[in-house]
Amino acid sequence: MRSIQARLSLGLISVLLIVGLALAQTSLWLFELGLQRYLQDGLRNESEGLLIALVRGPEGMQLDEHRVSPAYHRPFSGHYFRIDFPRGHWRSRSLWDVELPQVAEPGLQANLELATTGQSLLLLHTDYRKFGEQVSITVARDYTPVNSSFKRVQQIGLGMGLTALLLILILQRVTVRRALRPLERAREQISQLQQGKRSQLDEQVPPELEPLVTQINHLLAHTEDSLKRSRNALGNLGHALKTPLAVLVSLSVNEQLNAAPALRKTLQEQLEQIQHRLSRELNRARLSGDALPGALFDCDAELPGLVSTLRMIHGAHLELEVEVAPGLQLPWDREDILELLGNLLDNACKWADSQVSLSITSLPHGFCLSIDDDGPGIPQADRDEVFSRGTRLDEQVTGHGLGLGIARDIVDAWDGQLQLRVSPLGGLQVRIELVDRSLHI
Amino acid sequence: MRLLLVEDHVPLADELLGALGRQGYAVDWLADGRDAAHQGVSEPYDLIILDLGLPGLPGLEVLAQWRAGGLTAPVLVLTARGSWAERIDGLKAGADDYLTKPFHPEELQLRIQALLRRSHGLANQPRLEAAGLHLDEGRQCVSRDGTEIQLTSAEFRLLRYFMLHPQQLLSKSHLSEHLYDGESERDSNVIEVHVNHLRRKLGRSVIETRRGQGYRFGGVAV
Repeated sequence: MRSIQARLSLGLISVLLIVGLALAQTSLWLFELGLQRYLQDGLRNESEGLLIALVRGPEGMQLDEHRVSPAYHRPFSGHYFRIDFPRGHWRSRSLWDVELPQVAEPGLQANLELATTGQSLLLLHTDYRKFGEQVSITVARDYTPVNSSFKRVQQIGLGMGLTALLLILILQRVTVRRALRPLERAREQISQLQQGKRSQLDEQVPPELEPLVTQINHLLAHTEDSLKRSRNALGNLGHALKTPLAVLVSLSVNEQLNAAPALRKTLQEQLEQIQHRLSRELNRARLSGDALPGALFDCDAELPGLVSTLRMIHGAHLELEVEVAPGLQLPWDREDILELLGNLLDNACKWADSQVSLSITSLPHGFCLSIDDDGPGIPQADRDEVFSRGTRLDEQVTGHGLGLGIARDIVDAWDGQLQLRVSPLGGLQVRIELVDRSLHI
Repeated sequence: MRLLLVEDHVPLADELLGALGRQGYAVDWLADGRDAAHQGVSEPYDLIILDLGLPGLPGLEVLAQWRAGGLTAPVLVLTARGSWAERIDGLKAGADDYLTKPFHPEELQLRIQALLRRSHGLANQPRLEAAGLHLDEGRQCVSRDGTEIQLTSAEFRLLRYFMLHPQQLLSKSHLSEHLYDGESERDSNVIEVHVNHLRRKLGRSVIETRRGQGYRFGGVAV
C-alpha cells in the first residue's frame, strides 16, 4: 500500500501543476489579447494617419511625406506600412528591400514573420475608400520585444511556480508528519501497554484520532475485564478445589484403607498430581495478571520477612545468608518475586544440610539472582530433565519439581534465563538472569 | 491439650476433628469468624488452627483481633491461598505457622507438635522429653531408660500436658480446662484417677501433689 505521504504529495502535485499551468497560460493569453487590442488601436490610429496623409496631388493620389511618422523612414525600425491602391502600391522606406507579408482578409494578424529580419509582426490590414478609389492600408509593427518579454515572464513564472511547488511539498511533508505525530504517540503507548507500563491510551489526542483511541480504550477495558473475570474464576475454582482436596488427602490415610494399600497408593498419587497441577496453573494464572506500571520489589523491605518465614518453616538450624546490595530494587511485581524466591529458597532449605545463600547482583542490563545450597544437588543428567518440555509433572524430579517448575514459569514470563549449576557450597545452584525491561524503552 | 479449630468447610472440619481427637487433643470447633474472634480470647486454648477464608470475618482480621486482645497461644494458619506473599503477610499478622491446603494430615500433626513444643520453650526436640521420660506422640507411649511403657489415651493426654509444663504448679481445674473440650462434662475426680494411674506406671515421685493447690510434674528433677 502506498504511504499516505506519497498519496498526498502526488495528489497535491498533480492538482497544483494542472491548476497552476492552466492559470498561468490563461492569464498570459488574456494579457496578450488585451495587449494586442491596445496595440491594434495604435495601429488603427497609424493607419488612419496614413489615410489622412493620402492627399490629392497633381498625378492623382499621393502620399504626403511630411505627415508620415519618421519611424517609417528608418530601415527596419519596427514600424512598417504598405498602401495598395488600384494603380499600384507604396511601401514604407523602413521596409527597405523586403516585402510585408500579404494578407487577404482585413483585420489584425499576429505572428507574421518579416522575411529575413527575424522580426515577428503584428499587422493590421484595413480597406478604405478615398477620392473614389479603393485603398487598402496595411500597417505593421515589430512584435518581437513583446514576445520575448512574454517568454521571459513565462520563464520567471515557471521558475516561481516550481519553487512554490517545492515549498508547498516540503510544507506538506512537515504538516503530514506533524499531523501523524499523535498516531506515532498512540503506537508508542500501545507498545507500552503491551509491556504493562500503562493500562489505557492517553485520551488527549486530536479530534480525528479520538474515536480510534476511545475505541481502543473500550476494547482494552473489555479485554481486561473479561481476562480478569476468567482469571478470577480460575483462581476461585483452584482455591475452592483445595479444601475438598484437603479432605480427600486426609481420607486417603484413613484406617479403613489399611486393608487396600494399592488403592491408597493410587489415590494418593492421583491426589498429588491434582495438587501439583493446581499449584502450577494457579501460579500461571496469577502471572498473566496485570503487571502494575512502575511496580518495584524493594529488597530491603521484603527480604527480611521472607527470610524469617523460611526460618520459621525450616527451623533455626539452617544458616540462611542473604547477599544483596543495600537499596536494591527489582522492577517486578512484589508477589511474583516473592513467589520466585520463596519457592527456590524453600527448595534449597529442604535439601540443604546447613547452609543456604541468596545473592542478588545488578548486571549492566538487568539482574542476576543466585540461590545456593550445600545439599546433594541434582546430577547433570537429571538437571536437563527437570526442565525438559513435555515432561509430565509426575516424572519430574520429586521434591525439586514443583518449586522449580513454578520458578521457571515466572522466569519464562519475564523472558529470563534459569540455569542449574553446581554450587560453590557443594549443592545445587539456581542461577537466574533477568533483563531489566525498563532499560529498553 | 485444648485446641480451637476454626474452619467453615464441614467435611474437612469433621476429618480434622476425628484426626486430632485420635491424637489426644481436646478440640473445640467453630465455623464463623465472629464467634472465633470472641471465643479465641475467652477460653484458655493451647493452640488455635485458623482457616483464613471464613464467613462473618476474614481469618486475618480474626487473628489481628486476637493478637490485639493479648492472645499468646500459637496460631496455625490453614489456607487455600498459598502464595509466598500471602504466607509472609499471614506470619506478619501474628500467625506462628502456615499450612496450605491440601496438606497431609501427618504434616498437620507434626506442625502442631512442633508449635506446642516451641511455645513452651522446647524448640528443636524431635521428641518430648522431661524428667527422664521420652514421650512418643505418634505412638502414644512413653519410655524411660529404653523401657517402653504403654499408656491409655487419657493417660497420654495428661502426661503430655504435664511434660509440656514441667515443674509448674497445675490445679485440677486448670488441667480439666486444658484437657477437655468445651462440651465435655468436667469432673475433677477423673483427673485424680488418671494421675494415680500415671503414678502407678511411672513411679510415685513423678507427680507431686500440693494439697489444696494442685499437681507438679517432674519434682524429682528439682
